[in-house]
Amino acid sequence: MDRRNNRRDAEGSSVVTANRLLDGRIVWLDPAGKWQLSIAQAQTFSNDGMEAVLARQTAKAAEDEVVGIYGVQVEPSSSGPEPITTRERIRAFGPSVHAAFTPAWQPLSGSAGV
Amino acid sequence: MTQTPQPSSRQVGRYAYDSVDRTFLKQRVDQFRDQVRRRLAGELSEDEFKPLRLMNGLYLQLHAYMLRVAIPYGILSASQMRTLAHIARKYDRDYGHFTTRQNIQFNWIKLEDTPEILDILADTEMHAIQTSGNCIRNVTSDQFAGAAQDEVLDPRVHAEILRQWSTLHPEFTFLPRKFKIAISGSMQDRVAARFHDIGLLARMGDNGRAVFEVYVGGGLGRTPVIGTLLTSELPEEDLIAYLEAVLRVYNEYGRRDNMYKARIKILVQALGAEGFREKVDAEFAAMDRARYHLPPEIVEAIRARFGAPVFDADAAQAEQALALRLKADPEFAAWVRTNTHPHKQKGYCSLTISCKPAGGIPGDVTSAQMDLLADLADRYSFGELRITHLQNVVLGHVRQDHLFELWQILQLNGLGTPNIGLITDIIACPGLDYCSLANARSIPIAQKLSARFADAGLQREIGSLRLNISGCINACGHHHAGHIGILGVDKRGEEAFQITLGGSSGDLPSIGQIIGSAMSEDETVDAIVRIIDTYLAQRAPGEHFIETCRRLGTAPFKDAAYAVA
Repeated sequence: MDRRNNRRDAEGSSVVTANRLLDGRIVWLDPAGKWQLSIAQAQTFSNDGMEAVLARQTAKAAEDEVVGIYGVQVEPSSSGPEPITTRERIRAFGPSVHAAFTPAWQPLSGSAGV
Repeated sequence: MTQTPQPSSRQVGRYAYDSVDRTFLKQRVDQFRDQVRRRLAGELSEDEFKPLRLMNGLYLQLHAYMLRVAIPYGILSASQMRTLAHIARKYDRDYGHFTTRQNIQFNWIKLEDTPEILDILADTEMHAIQTSGNCIRNVTSDQFAGAAQDEVLDPRVHAEILRQWSTLHPEFTFLPRKFKIAISGSMQDRVAARFHDIGLLARMGDNGRAVFEVYVGGGLGRTPVIGTLLTSELPEEDLIAYLEAVLRVYNEYGRRDNMYKARIKILVQALGAEGFREKVDAEFAAMDRARYHLPPEIVEAIRARFGAPVFDADAAQAEQALALRLKADPEFAAWVRTNTHPHKQKGYCSLTISCKPAGGIPGDVTSAQMDLLADLADRYSFGELRITHLQNVVLGHVRQDHLFELWQILQLNGLGTPNIGLITDIIACPGLDYCSLANARSIPIAQKLSARFADAGLQREIGSLRLNISGCINACGHHHAGHIGILGVDKRGEEAFQITLGGSSGDLPSIGQIIGSAMSEDETVDAIVRIIDTYLAQRAPGEHFIETCRRLGTAPFKDAAYAVA
């Protein structure tokens, strides 16, 4: 995995992301340990605990049917956590050029992971 | 090889598969279906599965899986284009993206659907083999092959020979890095031969058989290099033997310890042209030449499997009808000037259909447009289409008296832009909107520039200009080869853009030079506008942008680009 995507400041907070094995869609780890399609549902972790969280989730990636788990540093916003880099904002909110192709292009409900 | 098919079963411009080819493709689909099943059942880990899916063109990109489908030397039949439209409509989000290797990419594919998609592709003799991985990739060729007035010989026959030689070649399946070959049979290099791992320029020898100039070690990416002329007199009979020798030297001596130094261009630079040539010559001399001999009978047998158009136009009548239309409609005349290319058959031309409308996304085509293009190919160009490395679509053989009605249909469907070879005929990679390697978005800046220069009169005033955009140093958008290039970079998590000037592919290749520090997207668009203004003010009569750039150097353009508004 590209290490650029896993850069975190010593301080700050992050969420955990991956791609779903079956369809490749981007998912975010929620407080119940389930993978959700919206970053708004993601749990935020303090950066100093992220390595342990990532190790735990990576160990059960096969069971969860996700690939490419890593952490994304975020800042709080009125609509939930927002990634600090352009790349991760595009992952979270969809391509900037096909207006319809947001994460909600396919229904968010009923598609949660394990 | 089985019997040559009857003319009625051959499609114009395409090599006709036989039962062995078709059986192989179906077996390959079955193999991948089983690999996907084992992955989903947990019998294969991601690490085990990843190289298997990549061998079938399936990448995991930023938002989803991306499937890259091979279009050998860019040639498609109308029915194949309809298959691509069907895949876009049913399995993707209703569009596809034509790439700089004359392939097509679908950006929203599901892993679980992929075996079915490959099965559908196989039904129309298509696949995604060797569109990824460290192997010999899709061989590219001239978009006007078999049609161009300046063509010496049709390069598709030898491109097909190279396709057959390189497909699943056991010795070259795990090269140090990917390997790209381009071949041209024209007096004019339209394939960027000197920017390929191997570039071949074919001409006719005294004995009536092809002779090749062989360039090696060219490429773009992190280390842009213009290819080295290895030999200018390679006879057709030794084509396979010699290329086999080049690949063997690369396979043996190419670096595998550092992927950024693994391409053949690095090896050629390290050994020097003479050192590399000596090793190739030694390998070539030691080979069993009889085994690799390419006799004229085989070349002719391959040629016979290509369908050829039967031209039926009355040339004088067709030319006269076109002349009348050109006189009556200046807008049509402007489109004909930019978007057509001289054909070897009088009364015909090759037509480039722009996939770059004002403010549009270079290379993106909807499923409806794909179906339309297929219908137009059936109606006007013997059922054959070509995808260009400049991300447009060509109808190779169009009667001149059909151009006006074709233009009217294209205009109604967003495909009538008169901009081929002009500043809005932009090459752009998918960039950070889709690609997991990208540092910056290529598409939005392409759209802004396309909108900024949308005025057709302004574009014609600016004249011939190649503007290429890459979202990262891997240079899929060929920015180094653009007269103006834009390179997306990452500045602490935010995107920024560098401008290069003076690049060119073709017969006078050069590598664009970075003119200064990176800027924001909007600053870059404004800087390009000032660069163009400087060119318009300082060009000599009749000069194109690249010629002014060569004459003046980059200094005045740099001053303009970084001038405070």
